[in-house]
Amino acid sequence: MKKLLNLLPLAFFAGLVVTLFFLLGKDNAELKSVMIEKNFPSFSLSTLENPNVYIDQTSIKKLPALINVWATWCIACRVEHPFLMELKDKSIISIYGLNYKERDNGDKARKHLSRIGNPYEFSFFDPKGKLAIDLGVYGAPETFFIDKNGLIKIRHVGPLTADIWEEKFSALLKK
Amino acid sequence: MKAFFIYLSIFIFCNSISGDNFKERYYFDDPVDQQRFVNLLEDLRCPKCQSSNLSGSNAPIAQDLKLEVYNLIVEGKSDKEITEFLTSRYGNYILYKPPLEVNTLILWMGPFVFLLLILAILFYLRSSSRTRFKNSKDLR
Repeated sequence: MKKLLNLLPLAFFAGLVVTLFFLLGKDNAELKSVMIEKNFPSFSLSTLENPNVYIDQTSIKKLPALINVWATWCIACRVEHPFLMELKDKSIISIYGLNYKERDNGDKARKHLSRIGNPYEFSFFDPKGKLAIDLGVYGAPETFFIDKNGLIKIRHVGPLTADIWEEKFSALLKK
Repeated sequence: MKAFFIYLSIFIFCNSISGDNFKERYYFDDPVDQQRFVNLLEDLRCPKCQSSNLSGSNAPIAQDLKLEVYNLIVEGKSDKEITEFLTSRYGNYILYKPPLEVNTLILWMGPFVFLLLILAILFYLRSSSRTRFKNSKDLR
């Protein structure tokens, strides 16, 4: 028993090494969303395309759909843009944009889309980030998958790539 | 002593330049609400920067959440309603003090379990060394 106790500090150290080995490598930058399996939150915003057109949660008609949080100031959004265009061009899924916290009246974002192409059915114009808070968004880009019943199924943080699409999203689309 | 005061002044200086001096930008009629605001922002974690609270962060999302907390206080919401508002969107992650639940049990109970364990070991070592001491005396 005494000998066993002498080994205790070593055992403790080994335990520490093992825990830290597994915990430190883990990427906790991506937070688990609490919105999963919930309905899309209700909102009332104008579209980016036309400030006089007001939309709400019922305006997301083409389901299943992606809701993509983007902004002109967001560099990573440009990284995923070609892939979003590909999804649109191949009619794989309809995408709605959540234009997040532009610092002007939307002119810059409108110009940006007309220059590089618009993958969205339309974009919700959310300069104050109101809807973004209701969704639990903490940065851009983020992408939500809404299933055919209007439930949020996936929240992906960071640029959407073909690999991530295959890994996380495409299986849901087949259901 | 002199060194202590130098350290102290550096500490105070660093505190005053770090973080966001948000307190000046949010005005409350009631000083009680002002204090609640400050306390809430101390205890809420910034979801973007992860190792900083809302009051110490200048991330865009932290600024939005500060404004949201401000608006909720002005609307007359209680602290509990405000934390519920935030956890229903961002999860328990946003709280620096996690609630006592099954999956956080180890966080709350772990230290006490460790303490008991260490006390038990110390007690065992003490009693066994005492008997050994006694035995060696007997031999003499």
